[in-house]
Amino acid sequence: MTKIFKKLKDNIFLEIVILGYIVMFIIKPQMGVDAIKNSGYYIKEMLLIMPVIFVLTALLDTWVPKQTIIKYLGSESKIKGTILSFVLGGISAGPIYAAFPFCVMLHKKGASIKNIVIILSSWAVIKVPMLLNEVKFLGVKFMVVRWVLTVIAILVFSWITSKIVKNEDLPQEIEEPTKGISVNHDACMGCSLCTKQYPELFEMKNKKACVKEYDFEPDEDKLQKAIDSCPVKAIIDYKVTDKK
Amino acid sequence: MDVFTIAIWALTAGFLVFSFVKDKDKTKKTLKMAFGMGKGMLGSILSIIFLIGLVLTILPPQQIAVFVEKQNMFFATVVSAAFGTITLVPAFIAFPLVGTLVEAGVGIVPSVAFLTTLTMVGIVTFPLERKEFGMKFALTRNVLSFVFALIIALVMGVII
Repeated sequence: MTKIFKKLKDNIFLEIVILGYIVMFIIKPQMGVDAIKNSGYYIKEMLLIMPVIFVLTALLDTWVPKQTIIKYLGSESKIKGTILSFVLGGISAGPIYAAFPFCVMLHKKGASIKNIVIILSSWAVIKVPMLLNEVKFLGVKFMVVRWVLTVIAILVFSWITSKIVKNEDLPQEIEEPTKGISVNHDACMGCSLCTKQYPELFEMKNKKACVKEYDFEPDEDKLQKAIDSCPVKAIIDYKVTDKK
Repeated sequence: MDVFTIAIWALTAGFLVFSFVKDKDKTKKTLKMAFGMGKGMLGSILSIIFLIGLVLTILPPQQIAVFVEKQNMFFATVVSAAFGTITLVPAFIAFPLVGTLVEAGVGIVPSVAFLTTLTMVGIVTFPLERKEFGMKFALTRNVLSFVFALIIALVMGVII
């Protein structure tokens, strides 16, 4: 019984949406149909862009070394990092939430908070792909003034954000370490790759990976493979981190 | 599909081939990783999309325009900025939408405020953002984006 309740609680957002549709269909069936049609349009758009963003994020995660990200997007990257962030955000397609996993990956690899905010914001509203559209619908003067002002605004508030939010504020809450290995539950997305890499050590609980109780010496290779396989770098081995 | 989306697909496909040639195993793992990411976010994204569909049906932008038109400029700006925060909308929908608002006679200032909050600030998408980035980051980013949306809009009103 508690299990069912827990499951309901985990998906509360989805349930509210479904409830909204049920109410809509009872009161005004036609509007319900329209709402589904509207959503269908967005789903198509999402399917056009999200899969490729996921693959690209994973590819960059695999092939671009941490040092490179730190060099180009870290807190010491200065103006070069700022420009690169604007370019990355500006040329991208799709809604801003498509940028979330991409930016989480960059941050885990050492990109600064300021640059993450620039990427997210320019991803939202400084759109090179939308340039012609903006001119068409709103005019050249409108577009130029808006771009200049928005870029300035993003520069200012990304700087403010970096003063308010520190790296430690982003999800990295760590569960009680079991002999040095732990999983950061805020970061874990429940992809279960680690449980496949090292089933003796990791298991899934409530859609999150957990470290099992164990009393053997973990196999270094297998553990490292599991750590490397994690898309969000949520597995932490204290022994390894200490060495660095 | 616009040319940039196609470019991203082409770039990723090329990258994938390169990756596959260089290291088969690593590439397999990478694809698994991408699949894991998608699976992890699918539920939240679908909920958000269906909610956007619902909200846009109950509160069609045209109706918002009719309402905003009748208000004085300052009030209209704050109201349209507030409407924009309901959810994050992709730019390719936001721009035509704001274009219709301007044509319908809504002033530049409220329109820009609406455009900026529409694409940058999202209450509906907030839980997803919080899950990915943490409370403090998500809250700071959304609040600052809202404040600066108003500033951008007001300055634009002065210039144009």
